[in-house]
Amino acid sequence: MQGITKRFPGVLANDAVDFEAAAGEVHALLGENGAGKSTLSNILTGLYRPDEGAISIYGEPAHFDSPSDAIDAGIGMVHQHFRLVAPFTVAENIILGEHRPEARSFVVHPRRIERHVAGLGERYGLAVHPRARVWQLSVGEQQRVEILKALYREARILILDEPTAVLTPQESEALFGTLRAMAREGRTVIFISHKLHEVKAVADRVTVLRGGRNVATLTAAEATPRELAALMVGREIELAKRVERAMPPGETAGLFVEGLGVRGDRGEEAIRNVTLTVREGEILGVAGVAGNGQRELAEAITGMRPLSRGSVRVGARELRTGDPRAAIAAGIAHVPEDRLGTGVAAGLSIAENSVLKSYRHRGISHGPILNWGMIREVARDLIRRYAVATPGPNLRARDLSGGNLQKLVLGREFSSAPKVLIAASPTRGLDVGAIETVHAYLREAAESGVAVLLISEDLDEIRALADRIVVIYEGELSGDFDPETATVEEIGLAMAGGERG
Amino acid sequence: MVNDSLVVEILTQAVVYGTPILFAALGELLAERSGVLNLGVEGMMLVGAAMGFWGMQRAPGSDATALTLAVLTAAFAGLVMALVFAILVISLRANQIVSGLALTIFAGGLGLSSYLGNDLGLADVPAKHQFGDIDVFGLKDTPVVGPILFHQSALVYLSWALTVLIALYLSRTRLGLNVRAVGENPAAADAMGINVTLYRYAHVLAGGALAGIGGACYSLAITPGWTDGDSLVGGAGWIAIALVIFSFWRPELCLVGAYLFGGLAGGVPAAIQAHNPDIPAFFKTSEFLNSLPYLMTILVLVMVSTSFARRRIGAPAALGVPYVREER
Amino acid sequence: MIAVERRLTQPRWLTYVIPFVSVAVAFGIMAVVLLATGHDPGRTYRRLFDAAFHGSAAWTDTVTLATPLIFTGLAAAVAFRMQLFNIGAEGQLYIGAICAAGAAIWLGPDHALTLTILAMCVCGAAGAALWALIAGVLRAFARTNEIITTLMLNYVAGLLLTYMIFDSASPWRDVSTVQTRSFPQSVALKPSQFWPTVTVFGVSVSFGFLLAIGVAVALWVLFRVTRFGFEMNVIGDSQRAARYSGMRTRRKILAVMAISGAVAGLGGASQIGDFSHVLDASPQGLQGAAYGYTGIVVAALGRYNPFAVFLVGVLVGGLQNAGLFLQGADFPIGLVGVIQGIILFCVLGGELLVRYRVRLGRRPVAAVETS
Repeated sequence: MQGITKRFPGVLANDAVDFEAAAGEVHALLGENGAGKSTLSNILTGLYRPDEGAISIYGEPAHFDSPSDAIDAGIGMVHQHFRLVAPFTVAENIILGEHRPEARSFVVHPRRIERHVAGLGERYGLAVHPRARVWQLSVGEQQRVEILKALYREARILILDEPTAVLTPQESEALFGTLRAMAREGRTVIFISHKLHEVKAVADRVTVLRGGRNVATLTAAEATPRELAALMVGREIELAKRVERAMPPGETAGLFVEGLGVRGDRGEEAIRNVTLTVREGEILGVAGVAGNGQRELAEAITGMRPLSRGSVRVGARELRTGDPRAAIAAGIAHVPEDRLGTGVAAGLSIAENSVLKSYRHRGISHGPILNWGMIREVARDLIRRYAVATPGPNLRARDLSGGNLQKLVLGREFSSAPKVLIAASPTRGLDVGAIETVHAYLREAAESGVAVLLISEDLDEIRALADRIVVIYEGELSGDFDPETATVEEIGLAMAGGERG
Repeated sequence: MVNDSLVVEILTQAVVYGTPILFAALGELLAERSGVLNLGVEGMMLVGAAMGFWGMQRAPGSDATALTLAVLTAAFAGLVMALVFAILVISLRANQIVSGLALTIFAGGLGLSSYLGNDLGLADVPAKHQFGDIDVFGLKDTPVVGPILFHQSALVYLSWALTVLIALYLSRTRLGLNVRAVGENPAAADAMGINVTLYRYAHVLAGGALAGIGGACYSLAITPGWTDGDSLVGGAGWIAIALVIFSFWRPELCLVGAYLFGGLAGGVPAAIQAHNPDIPAFFKTSEFLNSLPYLMTILVLVMVSTSFARRRIGAPAALGVPYVREER
Repeated sequence: MIAVERRLTQPRWLTYVIPFVSVAVAFGIMAVVLLATGHDPGRTYRRLFDAAFHGSAAWTDTVTLATPLIFTGLAAAVAFRMQLFNIGAEGQLYIGAICAAGAAIWLGPDHALTLTILAMCVCGAAGAALWALIAGVLRAFARTNEIITTLMLNYVAGLLLTYMIFDSASPWRDVSTVQTRSFPQSVALKPSQFWPTVTVFGVSVSFGFLLAIGVAVALWVLFRVTRFGFEMNVIGDSQRAARYSGMRTRRKILAVMAISGAVAGLGGASQIGDFSHVLDASPQGLQGAAYGYTGIVVAALGRYNPFAVFLVGVLVGGLQNAGLFLQGADFPIGLVGVIQGIILFCVLGGELLVRYRVRLGRRPVAAVETS
């Protein structure tokens, strides 16, 4: 791929990226979220079209109008979110679709396919029972089915997007064996990841993307983890603007989470044994690359997701978990990651969204009747205090720009005089001005004694705001960094799994 | 003679009355397997009945030619009705339930079928041809099974052939696999290069054609003739919808269920009258017996809704949800 | 190439304009169809309008036909607003009729009319609400698809209705004379039990119609002004946001299904009290009228807004009245369904334009693409 450039509204996802991978090698594509790895791979698999640049496969120029074209050209991809039909068998999933290799027979011969699939499985160490139904399989086995799908179509280039996110260490090892076997056969394996130890374990070469650019391509053997982390995360060019606090954090714990275990959507352990304390008035920053359990952590504390283990305490009282109303009543405010889908009812007006949680309070409703005058007041007040750009409180929430929507959500959560504030990726997708504003509000909350748990993928943000930093990786916390003294490399290393190997 | 017994008579009639339901159910099954819920079956059947009758009256040639043309006309009429629905629901992404009901109103007893029937002068007209019972392999007098299996009209045998074909299609062919994927997980199917839109159109249209043939069963065989209003088809379209669910979206079970529903409607009450077993009167009423299919469907549905069952025997997961591909 | 893309903003005015445009398009299409079949569209429309809305006799009949449609339309609107697809208004109406008739029969003709009406309404609404709750409970606790359960229950309700009169010796059945014993029919309400009518500008307006207006207003208040309505709106818009803000979704489902059923039940009570005065279980009676299903269509056309539903109910009632009145050699009854259908199709199809934008022509390859 040469000079690949891709723009989306507001962001330059790929900036003149050159990327090449050789036959017979495992090439890792390393970078943080937003670095452009997914965009690049989506271009390679035909999902997006590049604005500029060219692709060539084995020397032949290639142009993809759709994923089908890419598949026909021999590119196979294993996505993070599987595209499998749950009630079908493994064999049925593998042969599904309109691509070769065999004569596209009209009739399906189950036994012949099963033999073929079993054969493929054995060759690459991807044992799955061809007649098992996909919903019966573990996540690791489902991933094997996805790989087999690509192999069945004789993919010469195989791309895997964060494949180990859903695997146990043992399964990851097995996967690496498979990938190496495929490379030995002459295929090209491109492995997208943010985890350093994996890159070292399986890749021949590594390309690091940051901010949409290709910043380096090294041989895996030569690169040290520290070096890679530094490349991924960038040097401390933008000085984190730390603002002196007027009031230091208090001594008492505002939020105390102990031994938390939470299951994710697929039944896997998204959070394993997390214990953390956020003092009143403190901002605890939880750094980490997306997909390491952040969402589940926020949802568990705010009651939207049940716990499988552990407890949550606000102040001195233990919280009844799994019930958002209890969390709200205990004084937990939540600015969710998905502001449009969860934080507001997108089709309703700003006024209605302003009282989404407070509509039962005295004053806003008299018994069962809502006081619309009061609601509009509340909305106007929010709009004014948090500078939400809107012609009025009747505008639909969906019609607000990202920054203004976030200001609305934040404003609403702050105004509820919370004891604890969980802010998840609060400035994602916002412009610089909006980011400044949000940061100011977060600081203000801390100053007024709120225990703030800031979960963010933006390390700069965390370093600028947090009083303490912990890192979340694969559902566990590590490190207790002091933002004034810790270096970016140290934190970046922890975010990428540390020096394990 | 045993073949004149009540039981045999009931079963024979069950087949006759169950056949239109079977046609319609097979059609709806195809549509639902591709993820589209079409509640307009009754309307499509009525239009098929009317147009089939018209086709039969106007067609030249012998019994066989005329009737074949009539059936084709009915199928085509049903297909056109389904086309309107398909455009609304697949391309224009309208709500499937409301659209299906709209189709029923449009095409139903107070709508297009009545309009066409009256405009084309189909009422109170004696049928020029009608489907007679065929003696298959000369076996019509075999004890018990003779009248039931070997002495039915061509439509009945057509329905059996279709059941087998559709069952094989879904389970054994690549196209059938694809359409099942479309109904379960259209995003996955799309990612594998399957044209979701095309498959949905094809199956909804096929559903309409089959519903049309089902309607024609009434005007060309059972009645025969055409009458205004809903009574010609008498709710068979709705029963067909229930039947699809009741049979777990499996064609072979549709067949069994169709005869069960058909038989319950008329045959069993008569048998109970005659033999009068010792059960409370309420359970012997035709209303109670007729309600059983619906109650059983609800039961089946509840069972299927538990996640245990859902994964094993459930509805196509994407049933009723319009598919929108993410933009590039 | 036709590209359909989601709109980024949905201007409010579009939501109001598009339905009107759709209806206009529908009438246009209908005109073409009429011309093609040798009818004069202008004259046909004129006759329809006159038969429905010209003169107090016409209005009386229109009001009569509109009353049940308004009830079932409101019933559907309540549920559909929250994405609960209750298509059981048909059966709920039957049950309401059964219960209301039962109350009237049990009370007898010697009570004050007010008491009779009250009893009929309460029983009708309660019975239908319970019927609807069957599907509601299954949905709330077993996640069973309410579309199919309510549909099935419609059939069961219809069969129950038939059973009451035709196949049982139930209290509903009139066994007083030889004639009624051989030709089954239900006990008729005595004149002292008939619901009153009010004469407005020469139009005979039934009590049920006024009741329907009252229900529409009550629902409007519920949706706009109460906490309950607020929660309904949030749940209907985004289940995730509802959970996020601590709303109790399950309870809402039950409550909304009950209300929906109750309103349909009132429609059934009105049928007995206002119009038929008897529980008509024959195929020409309640079961042939399809009030429930038509009500869903009315609700959809009225976009689930109580006042709009009321208006659409009156319009559809008028259309049906006109169709019945004009029925004859040169005005086939089938036209009613066809016109209704075309209007519906156009409105449903037009909905697309509210949420999406249609672009024609090739998209330039090098353009910045939206994600």
